[in-house]
Amino acid sequence: MKKEQAAPVPFQSFGRLRRPGIGLISAGAKRQLVDRIVGKLLLFVALFAIVTVFFIIVFLLRDGYQIVLETGIWNFLVGQDWNPAGRDPAYGAFPLIVGTVLVTALAMAIAVPLSIGTAVFTAEIAGPRTRSVVKPAVELLAGIPSVVYGFFGLILLADWIRIAFDQPSGSSWLAGSILLAVMAIPTITSVAEDAVSSVPREFREGSLALGATHWQTIKNVVVPRALSGIGAAIILGMGRAIGETMAVLMVTGNAAVIPDPITDIFSPVRTLTGTLGIEMGEVAFGSTHYHALFGVAVILLVITLAVNGAARVIVNRMQATARPKPHRALTAAASRITHAASAPFGRLAHPRTSQRCAFLLISLSAAIVLAALGVILFEIVVNGAGAITWEFLTGSPRDLGRAGGIFPAIAGTFWLVTGALAVALPLGIATAVYLIEYTADTPLTRGIRAAVDLLNGTPSIVFGLFGFAFLVLFLNFGVSLIAGQITLGLMILPTIIRTTEESLRSIPGSLREGSYALGATKWQTIRRVVLPPALPGILTGAILSIGRAAGETAPIMFTAAVFSSRYLPSSLAEPVMALPYHLFVLTTSIPGASTQSYGTAFVLLLLVLAIYLAAILVRRRYNREKVM
Amino acid sequence: MTGKSLSGATTVAVAGILVAFLVAAGCVGGQPSDSSVSQQITVTGSTTVLPIAEKAREAFEDEYPSAGIMVSGGGSSVGIKAVGEGTADIGMTSRDLKPEEVAGYPGIVRHHVADDAILLIVHPENTVDRLTLDGARGIYNGTYTNWNQVGGSDRQIVVVGRDSASGTREFFSEYVLEKEDFTKTQEEFNSNGGIQQKVSRTPGAIGYVGLGYTEGVKALSLDIDGTAVEPTLENITGKNYPISRPLFMLTNGEPDGLARQYLDFIMSTEGQQIVASVDYIPVQG
Repeated sequence: MKKEQAAPVPFQSFGRLRRPGIGLISAGAKRQLVDRIVGKLLLFVALFAIVTVFFIIVFLLRDGYQIVLETGIWNFLVGQDWNPAGRDPAYGAFPLIVGTVLVTALAMAIAVPLSIGTAVFTAEIAGPRTRSVVKPAVELLAGIPSVVYGFFGLILLADWIRIAFDQPSGSSWLAGSILLAVMAIPTITSVAEDAVSSVPREFREGSLALGATHWQTIKNVVVPRALSGIGAAIILGMGRAIGETMAVLMVTGNAAVIPDPITDIFSPVRTLTGTLGIEMGEVAFGSTHYHALFGVAVILLVITLAVNGAARVIVNRMQATARPKPHRALTAAASRITHAASAPFGRLAHPRTSQRCAFLLISLSAAIVLAALGVILFEIVVNGAGAITWEFLTGSPRDLGRAGGIFPAIAGTFWLVTGALAVALPLGIATAVYLIEYTADTPLTRGIRAAVDLLNGTPSIVFGLFGFAFLVLFLNFGVSLIAGQITLGLMILPTIIRTTEESLRSIPGSLREGSYALGATKWQTIRRVVLPPALPGILTGAILSIGRAAGETAPIMFTAAVFSSRYLPSSLAEPVMALPYHLFVLTTSIPGASTQSYGTAFVLLLLVLAIYLAAILVRRRYNREKVM
Repeated sequence: MTGKSLSGATTVAVAGILVAFLVAAGCVGGQPSDSSVSQQITVTGSTTVLPIAEKAREAFEDEYPSAGIMVSGGGSSVGIKAVGEGTADIGMTSRDLKPEEVAGYPGIVRHHVADDAILLIVHPENTVDRLTLDGARGIYNGTYTNWNQVGGSDRQIVVVGRDSASGTREFFSEYVLEKEDFTKTQEEFNSNGGIQQKVSRTPGAIGYVGLGYTEGVKALSLDIDGTAVEPTLENITGKNYPISRPLFMLTNGEPDGLARQYLDFIMSTEGQQIVASVDYIPVQG
């Protein structure tokens, strides 16, 4: 492939489009036909998200509705006691609902300012060299497996809170929120950064030419223009925070109590996901407790839907007020700037001073994020590097993983992630293309978007349950590689759809109009004009997804993973070892294997890092061509 | 050219989906239940029993190089369900079957392979060395909230326990708490490792774990009628230390083929030595 073919500059593509247009009429008719078929095909694929959600809901409700029959819906929702193992079992989910809301709210309060600060820093302030360090570093933060975060939180964070605030126990609401914030930051930052970067350069130049400072330009022109993307970023991040299971259950203490007083951030709390995570593995199938847990999963889905709906309404309203039309935003900003310039005494601070303060804060938030990454990496590398030997990388585990190697787990994770991408990338890109390019805002697209939001907020543990109930048992796949690949693929689908949508949306409409004006069909326009420049954004989505798929334990532990297997899988129907699951069992169930578990975490990080590096190189190549 | 490469990508995508469906269909069709004669079996279930299964697998495969045994965790319920539904050949459970499960899977046969002792653990700095069963009950039901109420220094007790679906907790609840409710502020973890980590880092904490999880923590002796009984292997095997429970492996019907050989191996002298080597209590020999 030659460079210009991989990523055509718009004008070149126009030139290429014109040529077939002069051909025979039948060729035109054929293109029309292709166009219509592709449209239908994309619609069909886009419906997949709805179908998946439908199946998830059906399978959750099938096992969850009985709890309502047994306890009554009111007792289940607002009951104050969650005590399934008591002499008089009680299934009141209210403390769990409160716990989820509190932990997520505080986590977002920490993560959103830091993430947006880091995104603005990366996109606007940092020089190219700093940027090339910060951006991959943030994405790497997304690749750290939840189990690692969990043990990190249990060992360092909770301990720090206990000592720093002189509490009897550090497992608390605050610990859960800090950990979730760190886990949500890469998602929010990456997507927000893409949104900020995609603001056309002319906007900045126009604003600067009017005499605005860099900070005024960012505040009044760039960020308002990027608000839709930032909103999407926050929703994605919140989805990650609400759905996180493995890490949060290790640091919140899991006592099913409502903090008293409600602002006591040092109180232990228990989230809905934490409840599923710690109780699902051992609960007797078909018991009241089992139905109650599925009821909890349904509540979780409903909350997710409500939060996403609310966020969507807020973002829409912000867009409506802050960005009626780009040029109007620019003129409004311009008038504000000239006004400010003509009234030097009317302002609290000189623009230069406020710029310095703002930049300081923004750089600080980036520094905090980098420091978090640094601490976690340091911990893993220092404790894990000692375990890395040739045998560790190429051998099979012996003595419960305390000796030998982890090669089957490395291979298993590789196959799981590759399979998940093979499932999710085509589906995700096709869905996003359909949503952005083929339809206006219809009930159907709103339905698809709602389904994607719902999938995004669906906790990984629920995907695991669904995979187990539907793929492993109902379709009789058994615990197998393919069941894990599909489960993981479904889990990362929403991330790919949302990031692809966002990057398609950032392609200016004028490019499409130009293509149509030259007689290209819709599909030709998408294929040759719209998709190529959107590729870096799509890649970002894929990168985030790889990190997530490689590090997740919950979706594979019931569907694909075995703790040990001498052989590599010879077919998709066989179970595999996987790094995060191996790590999970080592850290929770094998005493005296801490070196090996840190070593496994280290290898997992290296693996994710290698995939990232490859993807980042590809992205950089595309970016460079786009500029040229 | 660009167009070609992209339509190529679409073709690959469509083909990928088709292949996925075909493979899926193939799996649906090709899942025969002839695992009893094959040279591969799967063992799944309780993470408490997993170390026994895994250590035994290593030794077993050394003796029978053609055998393939795959061990995974997931929890007792997963083990019971998997063996009941036929997705695994052997299940592992750290609790007895519930009435619903016995009714749902009447063919399940239990094999008592080992016992698991449960230790009370505290932070090494804690001055308390022994507790009576009443003292332990008082801490876990919320009567005692400060260590000075059970003979220690003035420090708030942080009660740590297992999740409400855990077999370990169920046993602890029956034996120590006599089915009373746990205190509501009990912090819950879903693994022995989690509890051990928590207790080793929290000066006021108390938790209960299996025999192997004593690194960085102090195991309490039980005060039985005025004598302190240390949780040593001799005391546990000799039934002087009373808190222990059975661990099971399950098969659907009487085992045959490789599953039978594997279970026989675990019950052999060599197998039971393996049980002791991973900090569980042998039931034979």
